[in-house]
Amino acid sequence: MSLRFQRLILILLTLIMLGAALLLILFNTKQNIVFFYTPSELLENNIAPDKKLRIGGYVKKSSFVKKSLNNYEFKITDNTNDIVIFYKGMLPDLFREEQGIVVEGLIDKNNNIVASKVYAKHDENYMPASIKKELEKNNQWKKNYK
Amino acid sequence: MISLIGFSALCLSSIFSCIVLIPKSILQIKIKYFLFFIRSSTFLVCLSFLSLIFAYVTSDFSNFNVFQNSHSEKPLIYKITGAWGNHEGSILLWVCMISIYGFIYSLLSKSLDSFKILVLKIQSSLFIIFCFFIIFTSNPFLVNSVIVEEGLGLNPILQDPALAIHPPMLYLGYVGFSLVFSLAIASLLKTESDQMWVLETQKWSIISWGFLTAGIALGSYWAYYELGWGGWWFWDPVENISLMPWIAGLALVHSLLMIKGEQAIQRWIVFLSILCFSLSILGTFLVRSGILTSVHSFAADASRGLFILLIFFVTTGFGFLVFLIKSPTKKNDLNLLLINKTSALIINNILMMIAVLTILIGTIYPIIIEVLTNTRISVGGPYFNSTVLPILLPGFLLMSVAPVLSWQTNKIKKFRVYVICFLILSLIITIQSYLTTFNPWGLIGLLLGSWIIVGSLISVILRYKFSFTSKYIKSINSFTAHIGVGVMIIGVTYSSVYQKEFNFNMQIGDEITIENQLLKFDEIKIVDQENYQSLRAVFSLINNNGIISYIDPGKNYYPVSKMITTEAGIYHAWLKDIYITLGSETDNQWFIKVYINPLVSFIWIGVFIMIFASIVAVIKK
Repeated sequence: MSLRFQRLILILLTLIMLGAALLLILFNTKQNIVFFYTPSELLENNIAPDKKLRIGGYVKKSSFVKKSLNNYEFKITDNTNDIVIFYKGMLPDLFREEQGIVVEGLIDKNNNIVASKVYAKHDENYMPASIKKELEKNNQWKKNYK
Repeated sequence: MISLIGFSALCLSSIFSCIVLIPKSILQIKIKYFLFFIRSSTFLVCLSFLSLIFAYVTSDFSNFNVFQNSHSEKPLIYKITGAWGNHEGSILLWVCMISIYGFIYSLLSKSLDSFKILVLKIQSSLFIIFCFFIIFTSNPFLVNSVIVEEGLGLNPILQDPALAIHPPMLYLGYVGFSLVFSLAIASLLKTESDQMWVLETQKWSIISWGFLTAGIALGSYWAYYELGWGGWWFWDPVENISLMPWIAGLALVHSLLMIKGEQAIQRWIVFLSILCFSLSILGTFLVRSGILTSVHSFAADASRGLFILLIFFVTTGFGFLVFLIKSPTKKNDLNLLLINKTSALIINNILMMIAVLTILIGTIYPIIIEVLTNTRISVGGPYFNSTVLPILLPGFLLMSVAPVLSWQTNKIKKFRVYVICFLILSLIITIQSYLTTFNPWGLIGLLLGSWIIVGSLISVILRYKFSFTSKYIKSINSFTAHIGVGVMIIGVTYSSVYQKEFNFNMQIGDEITIENQLLKFDEIKIVDQENYQSLRAVFSLINNNGIISYIDPGKNYYPVSKMITTEAGIYHAWLKDIYITLGSETDNQWFIKVYINPLVSFIWIGVFIMIFASIVAVIKK
C-alpha cells in the first residue's frame, strides 16, 4: 500500500470519527442541557411549566418548613425575589437556612419548583460571623462570603 | 517565627532557581554548581513546606492560613493534612513537587549533561512561575492580624483518611506531567541527536499517569462513601478536568510504545506531552478561579484565577510555539497496513483525543454560553454518558485485540481462536442477559469488559510460557493493565446500570427484607470522638445462616465548625455493596435510603491492577 493511500485512509478515519463525535455532541447539547436561573431571572423569563431547570440562591431565613419526614418546603432567594421549592427526599448535610444551594427540578404553573435534587455547596472556608467582621475590618477577608 | 522561616526559604529557593537560568553567555556555571543550585532550591522549598506543616502541627495561629484551616483539637493526622487542605498550602505542595521531580530527575537521568541542563532549566522556569504565583497571590505564610487563641478548623468533609492522601497523589500526577513537558520542550531545543529523552519520557509519563490514576480513584472512593449519594462518579466539572489529563496521559503512554516499533512519531509525542501539562494547569485554573459552577468547587478568587490563566497561556503558548517552530523534521514513514499495531495505536490515540475534546467542550460549554448569551446552563451526567461512552466504545473493542496485533505484518497469529472465543463469549453473555434483566448498556459493557479480559488471557496463554518469575510478569504487563481495564468496565457497567435504590421509614426494632436478606434496625448509638460526635444507626444484615455483618450509617457532628456530615454505612462484598445512608428523624421514625450497588468492588480491583501494571512498567524501564 502506498504511503499516500495509507495517510488518506487515516485522515478519512479521523474525519469520520470526529464527525460522529460532533454529531453526538450537538445532539446531546440540545437534549441534556439544564438551564440555570436565579429567582429574579426565573420570574423575568416566564418559563413554560414542566421544564427541567436549575435554580441557585440562598435558602431564605425562616422559610424552611418540614411538612413530614423527608417532605420539605422552603424558599430560595437572591435578596430581591423568592421562589418556593417543594422537595421530597434527603437534604444534604450542608443544607441550612441562609446557605447557598442549587436546586434542580421541574417548574409548575405558579413558578414554584418541585425539586428532584438539592445541592449544597462545599467550601473549604466557613467562619463565625464575629471573626469574619473583624477580618473584614482588617481587609484580610477578601473572599466573597455571604 | 516559623512562618518567617518558611517564607524566606521559599523566596531563597526561587532566587536559587533564577540563578540557574542565567544564560551561558553572561555567567558560565559548572555543572557541579548548577546541580548544587537546583538541589539546594529543592531542599529550601521542602523546608518551606515542612515549616508550614510544623506551623499546623503546633497550631501556630499567628499564621493566618493555619488560623483559617486548623483547630488545636484535631487529631494529628488532620493537622498535617490541613496543610494541603486549602488553596495556599496545596499550591505550595504543588510547587514543592515541581522541584522534587526536577531533583529526582537530576539524580536519575542518564542523558547527556547538556540535555539534562536544558530540562532542569525549563523545570526551574516552571518552578519560578508558580513560586511567583504563591508569593503574590496565595501566600500561606501571611501573619494573622487578629490575635486569636483558636483556629477555625478544617472543613469536616475533608477530615477523612482517603481525602488526606488524595491531594498529594493527584498533584504527584498533575505535576509529574511538568517534567514530561520539560523533557518534550528540551527535546525540541536540543542540538544533539540523542534519543535518551524518549525512554525518559516513557518512564516519567507512566509514573505521573500512575499517580494520577491513584489520585482520581481515591477521590472517587471518597465521594462514594462520604457524599452519601450512592455513586462514585458524578461528571462534576472538578472530576472532568482531572479526567482530561488522565486520558491525554494514557494516549501519551500508548503512543510512546510506538517507539518500540520502527517508527518514531516524535511530533505527536511532543504534542501530547505539552498537552498533558497544559490540561493539568487548565484544570487547576478552572477549579481555583471558581469560573465553573460546580457543586464542589472550592473558594474562588478572581485574582488567583487570572494569574493561573496567565500561567496557563504562558506555558501552553510557549510550549506550542516552540513545538511549531522547532518540531522534529526527521520524517519516518508510518507503516500502517491497516491492521497492525501501529494503526491500532493511532486509532486509539485519535479516539482518546476526541474523548478529551468532548469532555472539554462539555465542561467549558457553560462558560462559553454564559459569555455569549448571558444565560447560565449546566451540562450534567447525561451529556457525558451519551457522548463520551459511545466514543470510547470502539476504543475498548480495539483494546482487546490490540496487544495481539503484530508491529510489522498484517497477520494475526491464531486468528481463528480469537474469533471463536469471541463468538462463544457473546453468545453466553447475550443469553445470560436475556435470562436476567436485559439492558442494552449492561449487555455492551459486560461483553466488552469480559472480552477484554478473555482476549488478553488467551494472548497471554498462547504467547508466553507461564512461570513464576518477575520476567514473566514484566512481559505480560500490557495484558495485565488491559485486564484491569476490563475488570473495571464490568464494575462500572454493573454498578451504574443495575443499581437499585430503596427508601424506608424505620423505627428501632423494625425489619425489612431486601433481596432475600433481612435488615434489622438495632439501635442508635451516640459516641464522642476526638474531633466530632458520631451518631450511628446500627443495622444487622441477616440471612438464613444468621448475622452476616453490621452496617452503621450515621452522621458526624463537628462542634468546631458546627457542621454535620453524612457517613454512609457500606457492607462490602465481592459481588455487591449494600450502601445505607441515614436521613432525618421525626417521631422516632428514621428515613433510610438503601442502595444495592452490584460489583462496585470490581472498579477498585481494576484500578489496583492498573496501578500495579504501571509500577511494573516503571520498574521494567
